[in-house]
Amino acid sequence: MSNDIFSPFLDATRSVFKLMFDISDVNELPIENFKFNDAVIICIGVTGDLEGNIVYKFPRNTSLTMVNIMSGMEIESVDDFVTSAISEIANIISGNVVTMFTEKNVKCDILPPVLGNTEDDKTYALTNDFCVSTSIGKVCIDIRLNQKNK
Amino acid sequence: MLWKDKYELGVPLIDRQHKELFKRVEEFIVTLRSSASWEDKLQRVDETLEFMKGYVVEHFHDEEEYQKKIGYPGYNEHRKIHADMVKYVVNASKEYEQGNHSEVYMQQLAGKLLSWLINHVAAEDQRIAKYAIEKGVANDEQ
Repeated sequence: MSNDIFSPFLDATRSVFKLMFDISDVNELPIENFKFNDAVIICIGVTGDLEGNIVYKFPRNTSLTMVNIMSGMEIESVDDFVTSAISEIANIISGNVVTMFTEKNVKCDILPPVLGNTEDDKTYALTNDFCVSTSIGKVCIDIRLNQKNK
Repeated sequence: MLWKDKYELGVPLIDRQHKELFKRVEEFIVTLRSSASWEDKLQRVDETLEFMKGYVVEHFHDEEEYQKKIGYPGYNEHRKIHADMVKYVVNASKEYEQGNHSEVYMQQLAGKLLSWLINHVAAEDQRIAKYAIEKGVANDEQ
């Protein structure tokens, strides 16, 4: 497994935004430009050849715009409907990444999305905390994985 | 409106069912998101949920039969995706019934359904259509 843990996540995010929101301009953004006090935070556990967590941070306005595009409705507050729809988006991006890993013979599964960050004191060998900018707002992904010894 | 023409696969049987599924999911979401009190919309939500539980299974079955008929190579993987979703809907429905028909369960189910359905039709099902069109069997009915 190469240490390029970042590219599959960027590619998967681009693919999902293109397919589901018709958005093509997904570009990497320096993390210091990203403030996420009001973000919907989704954690997805990873098991298998890679173990750890992927934490997605979708700011409030990004989340609402995503759900508005999908539903065609004007939704103005983050509630159970919105967090569930956004959790599934995080799940879909992660699923696409797992498929890319499988193609490189790295076999992993993902766990159901959990709302909120899961901080732990573990040390991770494969990490990347990055953000992307899009025409409907920013998204941040914090990758914390370890390669399991075979 | 949830349905977009770009979701059309060019396989008439599946497209008809997808449009119906999107229509039902949309009705479910519109009912859930309406400003009426939960008591007022409960009966409609329950009816739509019951219909969808049946229709999702029926559609998945028909789509799987179609995949078998055309010899779609991703049949087993696709079937597992369907089975996982049916399991999710059944579990969510059970939790809802055991949780005194609380609105929170249905809001969560609707959010998941919205994202899942769009991705499934826009991404996963497009692979079946691509295969069917390449094989020249896209217009075959079951």
